[in-house]
This record gives sequence, C-alpha cells and structure tokens, in this order.
Amino acid sequence: MALKGLDIFKLTPKTNCKDCGNPTCMAFAMKVASGAIPIEKCPHMSAEALSTLSEATAPPMKSYKVGDLALGGETVLSRHEKTLVSKTLYAVQVCDCMDEAKQDEVLKNIPAVDYERISERMYVEMVYVSHSAGKAPADFAALVTKAKALGRPLVLSCTDVEAMKAGVEAAAGCDIIVNGATADNYADMSAVATGAKALLGVRADSLEALHEVVEKLEAAGNKNLILEVSTASVKEAYADAVQIRRAALKDGDRTFGYPSIVNVAALSEGDAHLEAALLSLFTCKYGSIVVCSEMTYAKALPLYGLRQNIFTDPQKPMKVAPGIYPINGADENSPCCLTVDFALTYFLVSGEIERSKMPVNLLITDASGMSVLTAWAAGKFSSSSIKKFMDEFDINNKIKSRALIIPGKVAVMKGEIQDKLPDWSVIVGTTEAVQLVKYLRDEEWKKSYVDKSAAAPAAGEAAAAEPAPAPKKVIPAPPIVVTGPYMIDDKPVTYKGHDPNAQTFVTIGERIHCISPAIRKAMDSYDEAPILKRAAEQIAAGATYLDVNIGPAESNGPELMQWAVQLLQQNFNNVPLALDTANQKAIEAGIKVYNRTNGKPIVNSADAGSRISNIDLAAANDAIVIALCSADGIAKDNEERMMHCHNMLERGLHLGMESDDLWFDPLFLVIKGMQDKQMDVLNAIRAFSDEGLKSTGGLSNNSNGMPKHIRPIMDAAMVGMAMTMGLTSAIVNPCDQRLMETIKSCDIIKNHNLYADSYLEI
Amino acid sequence: MTFWVLFVKPQVFSAKINELTLGTGDKATVLGGQNVFNLYTFDAPIANRPKIGIDVSDDPEQPSEGLKEFYAGCSTLAERAKKAAELPEADFVCIRFDLADPNGANKSVEDCVADAKAVAEAVDKPIVVAGCKNTEKDADLFSKISEALQGKNILVLSAKEENYKGVAAGAGMAYGQKVGAESAVDINLAKQLNVLITQMGVDGKNVAMNIGSAAAGYGFEYVVSTLERVKAAALSQNDNTLQMPIVTPVGVETWGVKESTAPESENPGWGSAEERGIDMEVETAAACLAYGSDAVILKHPASIQTTARLVAALM
Repeated sequence: MALKGLDIFKLTPKTNCKDCGNPTCMAFAMKVASGAIPIEKCPHMSAEALSTLSEATAPPMKSYKVGDLALGGETVLSRHEKTLVSKTLYAVQVCDCMDEAKQDEVLKNIPAVDYERISERMYVEMVYVSHSAGKAPADFAALVTKAKALGRPLVLSCTDVEAMKAGVEAAAGCDIIVNGATADNYADMSAVATGAKALLGVRADSLEALHEVVEKLEAAGNKNLILEVSTASVKEAYADAVQIRRAALKDGDRTFGYPSIVNVAALSEGDAHLEAALLSLFTCKYGSIVVCSEMTYAKALPLYGLRQNIFTDPQKPMKVAPGIYPINGADENSPCCLTVDFALTYFLVSGEIERSKMPVNLLITDASGMSVLTAWAAGKFSSSSIKKFMDEFDINNKIKSRALIIPGKVAVMKGEIQDKLPDWSVIVGTTEAVQLVKYLRDEEWKKSYVDKSAAAPAAGEAAAAEPAPAPKKVIPAPPIVVTGPYMIDDKPVTYKGHDPNAQTFVTIGERIHCISPAIRKAMDSYDEAPILKRAAEQIAAGATYLDVNIGPAESNGPELMQWAVQLLQQNFNNVPLALDTANQKAIEAGIKVYNRTNGKPIVNSADAGSRISNIDLAAANDAIVIALCSADGIAKDNEERMMHCHNMLERGLHLGMESDDLWFDPLFLVIKGMQDKQMDVLNAIRAFSDEGLKSTGGLSNNSNGMPKHIRPIMDAAMVGMAMTMGLTSAIVNPCDQRLMETIKSCDIIKNHNLYADSYLEI
Repeated sequence: MTFWVLFVKPQVFSAKINELTLGTGDKATVLGGQNVFNLYTFDAPIANRPKIGIDVSDDPEQPSEGLKEFYAGCSTLAERAKKAAELPEADFVCIRFDLADPNGANKSVEDCVADAKAVAEAVDKPIVVAGCKNTEKDADLFSKISEALQGKNILVLSAKEENYKGVAAGAGMAYGQKVGAESAVDINLAKQLNVLITQMGVDGKNVAMNIGSAAAGYGFEYVVSTLERVKAAALSQNDNTLQMPIVTPVGVETWGVKESTAPESENPGWGSAEERGIDMEVETAAACLAYGSDAVILKHPASIQTTARLVAALM
C-alpha cells in the first residue's frame, strides 16, 4: 500500500527544522512517499508515528502458510483488478458429538475425492475437527488422533481451553489451526495457539464483537489470526464474509486483515445440494477455508473447476498439461490431432472432437500457453518443439496410428514436421476448431493420409509399392541484384538516413511480418517483390527502422535472414533493421552481413524469462535489444515490470552493454479487455524515462479488435500520451498517416526537432 | 461502538440497476432495481430478489433421468411448460426452440408460433422465449412470436450483434416486448450492443442483458469478470448503457458438459449422474448470482428448488 506524501506529512513534527536536509517537512514527506529517502532521516519522528507508518505500509491482509497451503495475502476484491492469490481451501467436518461409526465413516470418505484437473491436484485439503460441549477433552483428543492419520492439516474447533489443550497435544507433529478464541477465553486460547506455533481462529456473536476481540488479541501481541464468520444463518455468514474482506481491502481496516473460515456444514441443514450451492457462494466471496459435511464428486467436480477458474491469474494464460488425451474411447490405432497447451484452445478443440464422436488422440504440446499462431510466431510451436514432445512422451511406441493432423493455421510447418517425423503422415487439418466435427466425422483426413510403412522398402522386395517421398526441396537463397532505385508512382524511394544520437522518436515499421500470408509466402520462396514493396511503402511513409520478422524459420533461418538483410539494406541505402525471430542463429547470421551506417541492428526481442539470452546475443554482437518487461505472461503490476526491467538492465550492463542499447518494452495492452491497465503501461514508460532509459513497444496493440476507422485515432492518442511519459520509440505501422503526423507533432512539442511550417513533410 | 462504525462502510450507490417487469398481472416478476452489488442486503435493502426461470425446450429429449421423470406424460411443449410453471419456485418459464435450427430439425416459424401460443394459454407465469442460436431464423422467430403474444410482456433471448436490428425492430419496437441483448463475455461488446439497440429506438429500460455464460470450470473466469465489471460500471460509474438487469441461462451450459452427463459406468467413483448434473447447475447458478446475474435460467426442478432456497436465505 503506497502512502501519499500528504499522509506522511501529517505524521511529521511540522517544524521545518531542516535537520533531515530538506527545506520543509512537506518536501521531506514528498520525498519519502516517492521512496527517495527513508523515513528515518527525520530524527524527530515519534515512535508512534513510525509505527503508524509501518502499519500503513503493511499489506492489507496477512498471509500465512499452514503446511504447504497458502492463506490470505489478497490485495483486491475482484480477480480482474489484479489477481486473487490464495485459493479457497476445503475442509470436511468431523465432530466428537458423532458416534464412532459415523466419525470413522466421515474420515474414511475424505480421501475419496482426489483427482487432477489442468495440472492441479483436487482434494479435501484439511480436516475440521469439532468438539461439542457435552464431550470430554479426552473424546476430542481421541478424535484428533484419528483425524491426524489422514496426514492433512487439521483445524481444531473448540472453545473449551482444556479440551483444546488435549486436542493440540494429540495433534502433535501435524499442522493445525487452533480455532476457538472468543470474547471470554481469548487470552488463554491465544496462549495455546502461540505455544503450538499455530494460527488462532477467532469467533464472536457479531462483527462488532469480533472486531473487539481481534483488537484485544492484537494489543496482546498475537497477529497470527483467522476469523470465523457467523454460523447463525446463511445471511449473516455472507454478510460477515463480505464485510470482513471489504473492510480490510477497500477500507483499509487492518483489524479485519485476516483470512476467514466459513462453516457451511453448519448452514446447510443436511441438504447436500444447498451445501453445494453454499460451497460455491463462499468460494466466490470470500471464504479462505470453507468447511462442509461431506465432499462428493458431485459437489467437487463443479467446485474445483470453479475455484480453478476464479483463482487463475488473469494476466497469465491458463495451460493444460502436455500429453496424450484420448477422446471418444480412442486407442493406439486412432489418429492423432496435435495442438497447443492454451486452455481455451484445448477446451475448444477437445469439445469439437467430442462432438464428432470419432475416436481421436488429442496431443497437447508445450507452447507456453499461447494460441496456435502466436506460439508459432514466437517459436514455441515448431517442428523441433513437436519432435521433442513426440520423443519425450514416447508417442511412437504408445500409439500405433501414424496419422498426425496439425492445425490448418500452421500448414507452413508441414514439411519441417514431416522431415523430423519421417514415420508419420503429417496431415494439414482445419483452420478452425468448429470445422473439426465434419472433418473427422467424414474422415476427410484420410484423403491426405500417406502410408509411410508401405513406402518403406521391405527386405526382399524389389520395388516398393509407392515411390519414396521426395525430400523437401530446400531452395537456396538467390543472389541479390539491385537494378536501380525502387519506384513508387514513378518516384524513387530512398531512405533518408538516421542519426543514432538524434533525440527524435524512432519508428520501427512492423509491416514485414511473416504472420502476413503474403510475406510468409514471399519468404518461403525468396520472392523479392512483396518484401521490397512493403519496405518501400514504409520508408516512403517515414519509418526510421524496419522490423524483419521471418518467423521461427527453423530449417533455413540464417540463410533467410542474411538474404532479407542484404535485400533491404542494398535496395534502401542501408536502412537500419530490427531482426525479429525466435531463431538466434538467424539473428547472428543477419548481424554478420548488417551495415551499421544508419544505426546498430536491433535484436527483437529479449524478455526476463526464457528469452533473456537474447540480451547476451545483443551484447556479443554490439546490437540494440528490445527488452520486454515480462517473464511468463504479462507483468501483474509496475513493481513486477520494473523488477524485470532492472534484471535485464543489470545483465546487459554486466555484459558490457550501454544502457542506451537496451530499449525497454512495457508491453502495450489491448484496451478492449484491459482498459483498466492502460495507465499502468504509461506509468511504466514514465518510470523508464525517469531512470534515463529508452523505451519502445508494439503500440498499436492497444487498439487491437477495434473498428478500422477508430484504430488510427486511438493509436495517435496513445502515442501522444506515451511520448509525454517519455516513450522514445515504437513499433508501428508507418503507413498510418495520422499516427506518423502525431509523432512528428509531439517531437516538435518536446523540442526534439525545430519547428517549420512544413515540419510534417520532412 | 462509534470506532467500529467508521470501518464497516455500506457500499450504496447513487446509480441503480433498471427495474424490468416481465409478464402481467399477479404473476408478473420484476428483475433488478437494486442500488448495491448483488445479494448485498447488508448494504441496503434489495426490493427484488434475484429471479429463477425454468428452461423448457421444444425438443422432448431430456438430459437426465430425473428430468424425463419430471416431464413424464407431457407430449407437447405446452404440456411441459405447464408442468414447469407449476413448480412454485420458478418465477418465469423460458421456452427454447432448439428444433427450429435450420441445420437441425428446421421446424417452421409457423409451428413455433403455434407452440408459443399454446404455451401462453397453458401458463400464467411470465414467458421468456429463447431461440435456436441461428441468428437469422431467431430474428424471424422472435418477431412472429412477439406479434402472436402481444400484450404478454415477454422477453426474447436474444438479440446479438448479427441480428439486433431485426430483433429490436420486431420484438422491441413493433410489439413492445422486452429485448435481451446477448454478447459473449466481453464488456465492451455488451456495452456496444446496448448502445446499438437503444439507438434503434428501443428504450433501454426494456432491455435485459445476457453477457454470456459457461459451466463452472469451463472458462467461467470470463463470465465472472464480465459480470463483476458490468455491475461495477453500472453502479459506480453510473453508466446507463450497462444498467440493464442480467439474465444468465445456466442450464443449457451445465447440462452439456461431461461432469453432468457422463454415465456412472464411465467413472464409477463419480456417483450418480443426476446428482452431478444438479450440483453442476446449482454451483454455477450460485456463482452467477454472487457475481451479478439478476436472474438465472435452470433446467432441473431440484436445482431450481435449491437455488430458490439459497436466494431466500440470503434476502
């Protein structure tokens, strides 16, 4: 929780004594708020003020571990605001008021629900052991001993201090929560919990009374607490759960900044379906531990799925585990459909396969949770990654069928996959999941199936029935011949040159990208014309750099990149380039033939995760690197963005780079979908700028999905705001005239370029 | 304690969700109207509790044994709708024309209208009409049924981006029925569609939203965030293009997933499919209500009874 300068000012002595080296207490407070100087610099701050301050900067809700299980630590009420961090945990209640047979039955049923869903183990995490007034401490201890045998953390629920002591003793060696502090016993109960190094559960007859007991416990020094909501009625329990969490997170009441226990077993009056409804309700809002009377698969299947959905980080894609997923009773002879591990892709594809009612083995490969095309462009879904997957999961031996259907969107990979998996018949499937039903039902894939085993020459046979498939033709890169300046409308297009030391905004033209089918095709066949055309258009429109995205280019990356670099630089006066591919060898090869007249090459791109080695690559080759401030998915806030930024900066500097050669990319986010995160991105740019760092990014991503006529307007506004914050470069479509004119105008306002009436034309 | 009062602050907004009345007479039901988040009766009294509709398809096939039993002896849509409406916990009846799908049985619009008329005669509870998901056919269907059921104050589900003009003009403007605006878990699209429908001339007060639905575990996080963000924009930003009450069809989603339908023989540990189907429907409905739905539409009588019990306990 950041504290505002004015809040700190209120805590200062307000004497303007200057002992801290600042002219006024106000100036001091402002610097403390920005983190520039520590509060201790003021020698006159009272102990009380200091403790208020540390209280105010403490997280709004405590976080704990019980065994391996996390509790609390939430900072927001809704997942879309940031993310929810500690998933709801479920416990089953067993009571010493039950007869032995019933106790044993309840305990015996607890392990029944135990399964995996999208890489998460789903089971009853805790046992809630209750003591009832009519029973002796020894009865409670006996039950605790039995419950302990399940090997799960126990919540001991008991307001009788003596019985609790017996229970705690019986639970020795097991992770526990001592749940039973009340207005009457809190001092003794707190001592029991502290002695057992356990969280103390607190309950009271009303929220007011609960607040009071917690205040007393805190005053006595116990801040390891968990709050049990009312068990009087559903309505009161819900009101408590919501109001406790809201008071802590929205209204900053730290006395309620603790996790909660909701006992729905006590609220559902033996109605199993009502209990299911309540489990769901309190998973949504805001049970940290929810206790039920019994966990069945009927309750668990929707509940754990719901929990998994709610507690996923909205910034990170949901992934399914790589592996073989047999659908519709598929066996080793059923054909294989291959796709990526992005959860939505998986659900869509598996759903459509199910609808086709045809047995299919769905093969899910690790693609970092990206969708098919994104993963392909990032090099995460490639013939090598597929080959690696096939080896790792031993698919050749587990499955006898040799039909491998790949997504239609990556038809271009077919040759490379076929080369790496010669025993398989690689078949290009449909481009959309919905087309799969018909495709599979009508067995359309069989039309493209080639039986590889028949083609292999069998011993003793003179000739195979079919000729062996011809190896994929590798076209060598043709030599580059420049016949004269490239013309658009009979006007020669020449690159105007670029001074790397100029302050003006650097635009990196994004139009040579292999996600565009025309460019992909041109790169496949070394066809100059479409590439030169796009380059010329961008240069004529005023691009400073051109980005060259050749895709993963696994088989011919180095050769293709060298060809592209030479083609563009020789035709356009050594236009500087950003080399954009997941293939590091291709980037290195490109740099070898790169001409630095108009600026260093840019490596596009490194990140703080799996692509961090691109910083090393840039350092070794004296190149600029675009450094994405993310590791696995989008950074959740600017603290994380800046952490990534500093990690990469440190690495670059350590390798001898200049800080000016690391261009930090905050990752522009889509407004449709992440409207509330836009100011974060802009503030990150300001933070880079404040530290004297350069920045860039795929700016037009902000307007993704908007109507065509809106995009230039939104992009222009975004670039204007971003340049105010200090953005020094962007990856853009230079053919967007409004955007380019806005950039030029902003450069005038920033005094980076001297004004003249014709400034737009130069 | 005065100190205490400082900390529990009721979150009451100056904006409120529109009140939308469905049906006529004693059995009419009102959705929305609250100036607090869903179910937050501790912030301010909620006059109209969330409502529950019962989903009845023109397709006699039922997804579970219990539902077969419930509708045993009913042979027409009107008979099933009458049976459904007799369930005291159902606030309205949602008739669904699955068989009208041109890629399926392609039942004619005339036959559907005849069915709808028969339902209107058999049932005195408010009627919601859902289509076959083919946008072209639905536009025609809604228009003709709206004409036939003029004065019944029905809600049609739904107008989408592809057919909102036809649905808004037919059901909404020509025959004064209530219009549902359906988008797929995207708050920007939800807002855009409401803007387009009101720009056509339909009063925003006569519009309900279906912002999208899913079964728990099946991308339900998108439903959660869309519901929460719509309600937050409607109440805290006073965005009157998002103040329409939200109606969420739950049963059609939950009775299609394997957790609800896979026979016990496939996963012996899972237990009765009927129980699984009910809990999937109940838990999904509870989550929708918690995050912002003003009405849910369910299939199974046991789910409806349970959800009604939950809502009553919270009011």
